[in-house]
Amino acid sequence: MTDLLPRPYAETNSLQPLDDSLAERLLTTQSPQRPQATPRIRIEVDGRVVEGFEGQTILEVCRDNGIEIPTLCYEPKLPGFGACRMCVVDVEGEEHPPISCSRTCEPEMVVKTQTEEIRRLRRTNLELIFSDHNAYCLPPCQNKCPSHIDIPGFLKANAEANFTESTRIFKRTIPFPSVLGRVCPAPCEEHCRRDEVDEAIAIRDSHRYAGDQVIKSMLDDGIDPPVPFEIQPRSGRRAAVIGSGPAGMAAAYYLLIAGHDVTVFERDPAPGGMLRYGIPQYRLPKVEVLEAEYESVTRLGGKIVCNAELGKTFGLDDLQNQGFDAVVVAIGCYETNKLGVPGEDADEVLDGLEYLRTATLGLPYPGHAGKRVVVVGGGFTSMDCSRTSIRQGAAEVTLVYRRDMKDMPAANEVHEAIEEGVQTIFQAGPTRVITDAKGNVTGIEFIRNRPGAPDASGRRRPEPSPGTEFTIPCDRVLLAIGQGPELTWIGPGSEGPQSTKQRRLKADAVTFLTDRPGVFGTGDVRVGAATVVQAVAEGRRAAYAVDAFLKGLDLAAIKTRQQLAEPQPEFLSIVPFTSEQKEPRYRLKAMEAAVRNDSYIEYEIPYTREEVVAESTRCLQCTCEAIGFCDLRRLGIEYGTTLQTLEPQNHQGAGFRSVTENRFTGVNHDYIRDDSHAFILREPSRCIDCGRCAQVCAEVVGAACYDFMRIGFDTLVTTPLDMSLNDTPCVSCGRCAETCPTGALMPKPRVLQKYEVDESRCILCGICVDACPYDALRDGGDFELSHTSRVDPMIDLIALAAVDQETEMTYIRRERDWTERAAADGRPVAPTRLLPMLPAAVAAQIAKGDNGGAGNGHSHGNGHAPALTAGHGPGGGAGDHAGHGHG
Amino acid sequence: MTTILRTPKDWPAILLPTAVTAAATGADPLDIDAARARGAFVGLRRTLHDLGATGTIATIAASGLRGRGGAGYPTAEKWRAAAGTPATHRYVVANGYGADPSSATDRTLLESNPYAVLEGAVIAAAAIGATEVIVAVRSDATDAIHAVETALDRMIAAKLAGDDVLGSGRVVEVTIRPVQGAYMLGEETVLLKAIEGKRGQPEQRPPHPTERGLFGKPTVVQNVQTLAAIPWILANGAEAFAAIGSKTSPGTILVSVRAPGGAGVAEVPTGTSLRDIVALAGRNATKDLKALLVGGPSGGILPAELADTAYEFDSLRSAGAHVGSGSIVAADKRACVVDLARLLTRFCADEACGKTIPCRIGLRRVSEIADRVATGLPRPTDVQLLADLSTDIVGSALCDHERLATLPFVSGMRYFRSELDEHILRSSCPAGVCRPIAVAAGAAH
Repeated sequence: MTDLLPRPYAETNSLQPLDDSLAERLLTTQSPQRPQATPRIRIEVDGRVVEGFEGQTILEVCRDNGIEIPTLCYEPKLPGFGACRMCVVDVEGEEHPPISCSRTCEPEMVVKTQTEEIRRLRRTNLELIFSDHNAYCLPPCQNKCPSHIDIPGFLKANAEANFTESTRIFKRTIPFPSVLGRVCPAPCEEHCRRDEVDEAIAIRDSHRYAGDQVIKSMLDDGIDPPVPFEIQPRSGRRAAVIGSGPAGMAAAYYLLIAGHDVTVFERDPAPGGMLRYGIPQYRLPKVEVLEAEYESVTRLGGKIVCNAELGKTFGLDDLQNQGFDAVVVAIGCYETNKLGVPGEDADEVLDGLEYLRTATLGLPYPGHAGKRVVVVGGGFTSMDCSRTSIRQGAAEVTLVYRRDMKDMPAANEVHEAIEEGVQTIFQAGPTRVITDAKGNVTGIEFIRNRPGAPDASGRRRPEPSPGTEFTIPCDRVLLAIGQGPELTWIGPGSEGPQSTKQRRLKADAVTFLTDRPGVFGTGDVRVGAATVVQAVAEGRRAAYAVDAFLKGLDLAAIKTRQQLAEPQPEFLSIVPFTSEQKEPRYRLKAMEAAVRNDSYIEYEIPYTREEVVAESTRCLQCTCEAIGFCDLRRLGIEYGTTLQTLEPQNHQGAGFRSVTENRFTGVNHDYIRDDSHAFILREPSRCIDCGRCAQVCAEVVGAACYDFMRIGFDTLVTTPLDMSLNDTPCVSCGRCAETCPTGALMPKPRVLQKYEVDESRCILCGICVDACPYDALRDGGDFELSHTSRVDPMIDLIALAAVDQETEMTYIRRERDWTERAAADGRPVAPTRLLPMLPAAVAAQIAKGDNGGAGNGHSHGNGHAPALTAGHGPGGGAGDHAGHGHG
Repeated sequence: MTTILRTPKDWPAILLPTAVTAAATGADPLDIDAARARGAFVGLRRTLHDLGATGTIATIAASGLRGRGGAGYPTAEKWRAAAGTPATHRYVVANGYGADPSSATDRTLLESNPYAVLEGAVIAAAAIGATEVIVAVRSDATDAIHAVETALDRMIAAKLAGDDVLGSGRVVEVTIRPVQGAYMLGEETVLLKAIEGKRGQPEQRPPHPTERGLFGKPTVVQNVQTLAAIPWILANGAEAFAAIGSKTSPGTILVSVRAPGGAGVAEVPTGTSLRDIVALAGRNATKDLKALLVGGPSGGILPAELADTAYEFDSLRSAGAHVGSGSIVAADKRACVVDLARLLTRFCADEACGKTIPCRIGLRRVSEIADRVATGLPRPTDVQLLADLSTDIVGSALCDHERLATLPFVSGMRYFRSELDEHILRSSCPAGVCRPIAVAAGAAH
């Protein structure tokens, strides 16, 4: 058939075998359109000479050279916009500091990015932004939680009755929702903002229910508990954790997720530490809750070795000789403080912990029944001692505390103790223990205290008033006045670690490193006796430090990053919730005191499913979903324009301050949240009018859903007429949410769904790959070749054909080398990211170590010509391509 | 139509020739033959037939003409920069927007002498190698639009614009673009955005419009007054122009004067004292003079003692004001400077385009501080805060609106500190203008 019109490219377009010399010439000839090398220029930045290309902006050159300049409105895909004025820099010889995102570099330019003046300008800008940023970051509850649990997050999952997801969210910061659901003093609830409407949310009881459901399905149906993060591939590094209390087990849990081998050493016959031997059965059932929850650690591969005591059965040297790369010391506090009064050495003056240890094992303590018992102290141990004594048949239990009731660390449990029959005496301190001739205790003498000046904790220091001594006759005294760690193990076999002046293990607060390399200290042994939730928080943070150590990262750098990452107390806006409907808290019911007095079973009756959903629904969700991603918040912390503390006394008695309060406080905007769109959530009150969404939507996506509206102070970047996104040409690509530097535009939280692709109908157009804003879909091996032709297709055809028949293997080799290079650079590469995309046969070859360079007899050679036949041609055979699409 | 104030006979009349401003003569400013008789289009012919592009720019440079848009940038330098930037296409934009609502200079010029503006624009286009001229006029200035459109039609008919101007083969397409927007449209990059059909928001300079302007092409944006002076310079010679007015910025300039008892637009030689200009407004105009607001809403407030300052770019700037929109408002003893500054700041804050943070929020906060002072409820730190904030706004500003918007308050603080202190420390307004003070007295702090 003859052509109607001459075809200029007819010859080269045909699929004739190529003449070698032509291919050679084509491959070596540079296209005249190809950009020639851009001239390089040198500029001086902060006293350092850096190199960039002509035409680059100051910001681009700085970023290429690792110099950080803060920006809020800069979108790397687009030219500088210049709205946020955060990237101002000082250029020598210029009156007004230019903005680096749109100022082109000139040779020999002298730039300073961090002068006093420049930082002041940035700080002023941030303060101005905050003064109109009618939003808040962390909710107070999450702030106040020592472990910073995402409380609104898990309550939301609870409200949807999705208890697995709720537990998964919880386990991101604390692995033991059920244990903490019973023993946590719940500092979060004191700061709950629901309190301004009616009553605080029962946060602790809610996660207790969710955790219990997970335990139930684990024990009954054998379903693994949810793991909060993707479990990393095995690193081959080994960590030893000494102590299986809350801190040690939390550290073990997160280290296991991070891919390390963990062995936990426990002194006692069973794991648990204080959870097992310090907290009575009626508060924390050992088998149903503690052991079940610890199983989530052992199910991840953690080994627990019991009856192994540091300093007795082994030393640090032994562990390091056995090949443990890191050792975490989390042995807690077990040495009860002394009263320091005469008669203390009498036989019947017992260590409260020692007493509890026997009692929590379920054994009656010898000779306790019928005794008159005095418990000294006001913490949780004193509560446990007195309430256990009641259960063990003590004739009379008296609790004596040196301060007032409201100052007790265990103030919220004391009512239950009183209900059960414990007598209480406040504001009295022991002066001596009275013994008879045989050395038996007959009584204990106290002196009345009066409140003195407030001390560092804000509580008034008790001062004895002479002449007010009184005696309580008794047979037995239980001391529960605080504990310190045992540090006698430091010595031969375990040299290196130091103790502090306060008799604690000396370890850094962020890196947790002790003075011995590779040995970390965390939990009570580092900070002194504290709550379980504090111990877990310590353990988790230590795990991150140990993980960084095991990966060989720079711990000093980690330290700065961790400090920035750790939630800071700031950004609270107290808006009275007058419009909320009042709905009081669902309280846990407790058994009658008479029933529980001689029982060790849990006395609290847990929620029903309906109750927990209703209770969780009460949460006001006072949180910003963008926390952790928000550039504004990060810069606010860095430039010190955020509130540093929650404590009311620092705010001139005005209670919590809001984010909008600073020296510029004035009128601010309160816009309405728009959640009408299925995928994108708009919260205009958090908008800082940087215009990034408007630019990206117009210039990159082409939809132009957003623009600046109104003028002056009321300017807002929003949809036309502030309409719903549904009324715009939105294509739901999510690029606006991706580019938003704050939480003004966010992917809408929704129930996770999985999608199925019908591969028999897929035409491999690749639109889904291009459109996916989160790289969930990626180009696979073959697919890559079929659409790399950015230049003239003719050139590409010849070039490809000329690279011999090894094309696919060349490609695969290049990909694999990339993996090795990445590994050499220390970039994490999960093997799973690469291999499943390869044809099964090729993956197997790679696994065998066959480079494929020599052989040309493999099955892909002749058939593989996707570029030549526009997409996946039939030549390859369906079998070759199965399972390696672009999914 | 705005009153054109009568000026002394010996003052030169370049922009508003007496032949058209004298209402008594009944002259039609749109009569193209009368315009020719006055010497119009001589300059255009010289450019196209004698001087050429470089000769024209050299003549303008020799005349010392500086842009009348407010900043006073040398016109010839601007043209050179635009002509020197390699491009396939260049533009001339005649800025006749006249953003300041209190000043009618631009529209008065367009109504009274449209031929001079259009001729100047065509000359500019020929000098920089532009083929398109866009005349931006406020869309509510209907008289001005009518005048300039009629004049353009007649010029095209006479081959003074359009294809083949004066037989030179050169094409200069002139378009009249009525634009409507806020105050910010007076800023040149904002105006360009508006002409492009985008939201009026400024762009970072550099690059200046002479390198990357309208649709990314080199663009000369020139105030209509500047363009109107160009035909005169080319017809009468650079030396004649340089001899008029002040040495550093010669020529004449239109001023909008408002004073107690009179208001209007006058053409004055540069370097004339403020007092003499205000006196044009009427017999009582300078009586009890207390303060002079020079430069429009973002102008400086000068005290009566500085009334002898020459009306000229550099001396005004060193006094703490600027030519700006070409407006002078004279306030007598009845005015309160704090209140005046407050109103101006509020205007500037409300008219901000909302692009940058210091402008959108910062100016609003300045305005709030001003409100607090005027209502007798200032905070003890307000004066310091005002000073700090103004410095930082100027420091990280994007455009001149932002840089100048704090000027009323800053210059007011500089010259009328005692009056401000009266407000802050004693909660009293010496002029008796700030009324709420009577209510709030004693409640301060």
